[in-house]
Amino acid sequence: MKRRVAISMLGATLLCATALAQSSPLQLPTPLEKDLAARASNVTEVTLGKDMLAFAAKFMNGNDKNDAATRQLIEGLDGIYVRDYEFDKPGQYSLDQLESLRKVFATPEWTPIVHVRERNSGETTDVMMKMVNGESRGMFVLDAEPKELAIVLILGPIRMDDLGALKGLDGLGALGAVPQMQQRGAKPNTGAKPGDGKGGTQ
Amino acid sequence: MELEGMEEFERELKQALERMPAPPGLKHRLMVKKQEQFAMRRRRVVWWQRLAVAAALICMLAGAWTWRNAEQRREGEEARRQVILALRITSRALNQMQSQLAAHNQDVQSQTRTGSLNEQE
Repeated sequence: MKRRVAISMLGATLLCATALAQSSPLQLPTPLEKDLAARASNVTEVTLGKDMLAFAAKFMNGNDKNDAATRQLIEGLDGIYVRDYEFDKPGQYSLDQLESLRKVFATPEWTPIVHVRERNSGETTDVMMKMVNGESRGMFVLDAEPKELAIVLILGPIRMDDLGALKGLDGLGALGAVPQMQQRGAKPNTGAKPGDGKGGTQ
Repeated sequence: MELEGMEEFERELKQALERMPAPPGLKHRLMVKKQEQFAMRRRRVVWWQRLAVAAALICMLAGAWTWRNAEQRREGEEARRQVILALRITSRALNQMQSQLAAHNQDVQSQTRTGSLNEQE
């Protein structure tokens, strides 16, 4: 665990200058962010702006299938911002805190695609898409597990074909399911409403 | 006879040891030649110095270029690693959601099956 913390800290430090230079659009309420970071045993922060993504894309080998697919995906993006908090024990964040995280993206330009809540464990996952003229210009994922909280913001034109290409790749398989998810999300509400204590989709 | 021979020898010796003036322009020629030799030696030294400085500069530039390349590669690899990490976290979150959806769908299906069995009874 200590090693993972050290590696995460090192990674964060290495990109610190770049991260500071780019103002992150993932503006979480500061007290909430500090509180989560203080309670977490491991914090992973990834802040990659457009320039940094373009720079990273240069180092993705076109001959490697994984790299080529990832490169194709990130080349048009404006940024990827991730906060991942791992906790030693459950109950380190409250439902109110989750709600205030959701509220950050509760604006007309963001369309909720999926909201799932696991009845027994209380795990929730939210997926929202930013739609501009019928095209997806961003994706927000909030995944709350008992001992982990992941917040992901991807900005820029997300090409569903490129996401689909990641389906067969090691560790990135679930990204390939987003296109279907988006199609399903366009349908009327088929499940329980958020926060009613049942599993369901919105 | 012997005395005459001695006098002759003395006269010749005197003539040979007589102080004679240097040919005109000898000093100037000598000075010019010395200056030329000095200049040539200096040119040779300067040439070597220039070559050494150029070699040192080339080495420095090559070193800086290699270091910059290595540094850029390291930063690029780090950025690439961060991209993969970000996509992995996203994928894991979506995977979690898919599992929850699958479990929910199973629940709904079993509830529907139970409901239809009850209706049949």
